[in-house]
Amino acid sequence: MMVPVRCFTCGKVVGEHWEEFKHRTQEVEDPEDPAKVLDDLGVERHCCRRMLVSHKDLVDIVAPYQ
Amino acid sequence: MEEYEVQFVDRGDREARFVARPITPAFANGIRRAMIADVPTLSIDTVRVIENSSVMFDEQIGLRLGLVPLSTPPGDFEIGDTVTLSLDVEGPDTAYSGDLVSSDGLVAPADGNVPIIDLKEGQRLEIEAEAVLDVGREHAKHQGGVAVGYRHLQRVEVVGETGEFDDDEPQILRGVIEEAAAEHAVATDGQKPENGNLVVTETFDNDLSKRYPGKELAVTDVENAFVFDVETDGSFTVDDLVVQAVGTIEDRARELKEAVQL
Repeated sequence: MMVPVRCFTCGKVVGEHWEEFKHRTQEVEDPEDPAKVLDDLGVERHCCRRMLVSHKDLVDIVAPYQ
Repeated sequence: MEEYEVQFVDRGDREARFVARPITPAFANGIRRAMIADVPTLSIDTVRVIENSSVMFDEQIGLRLGLVPLSTPPGDFEIGDTVTLSLDVEGPDTAYSGDLVSSDGLVAPADGNVPIIDLKEGQRLEIEAEAVLDVGREHAKHQGGVAVGYRHLQRVEVVGETGEFDDDEPQILRGVIEEAAAEHAVATDGQKPENGNLVVTETFDNDLSKRYPGKELAVTDVENAFVFDVETDGSFTVDDLVVQAVGTIEDRARELKEAVQL
């Protein structure tokens, strides 16, 4: 649904980076390497990285069935 | 009271690495645990929902709000004290943690751009929330320290030359080393190698054979010296976290002393 606020494992706040991550890896014309973007954002541990890498926004999909 | 030496390797507002010595392994672990479980932070605990026509249930919104770190001025609040916050966003828009309005000027969301919920046309989220000061032992949302850890400080000594026809195998070591063979070291961190200096292994790609090329090495732990890796969720600075953590240990020690006195 919405991006988790914190990393499930360590508790680092990862939600704040989602929009920039999504923009730079999915929305621009030439997407950057996700690994490089995560390094750039300071999301270093692999527990926090999987939070962003494996996330999918579902609000737009669910909204019509409200 | 005993004196301890603290040397910072990296120092930032939210992330720091420092060497503390001389401390026993038990005391090092005590500090780590205190940082995680005993330092109180403010977090939203009760939510009064006035209107929620978003796609998420009230409880889900409540959980997300609870996880948002709030800046907590050390010493101004007692455990159980509350601060009221409110949020009112109408779609089409996204409600961010930064939209939370606090009744106390000192308390505010530490990160303003955590998305809470995406609101479509005609949807609205209006809530009032009570943030309460509590410790990490009660709920993970009150944890001030994030991924706090420590490891031994290590000393690398040169014990000989590698054989002429040996393979150049990398020798991986992570953490912080105390320079003990400056005359054989390559200046990888931009500083002239000097015995006793602290060197972060990342400066030589965690590969000892790059700092001491062609040498046979012995790595030993430095007794009673620990490298702490501390990160906060933004509720306060690393300095505040460590000082408060040590304070809680002191408080408990005093409590114990009073309890066993006749």
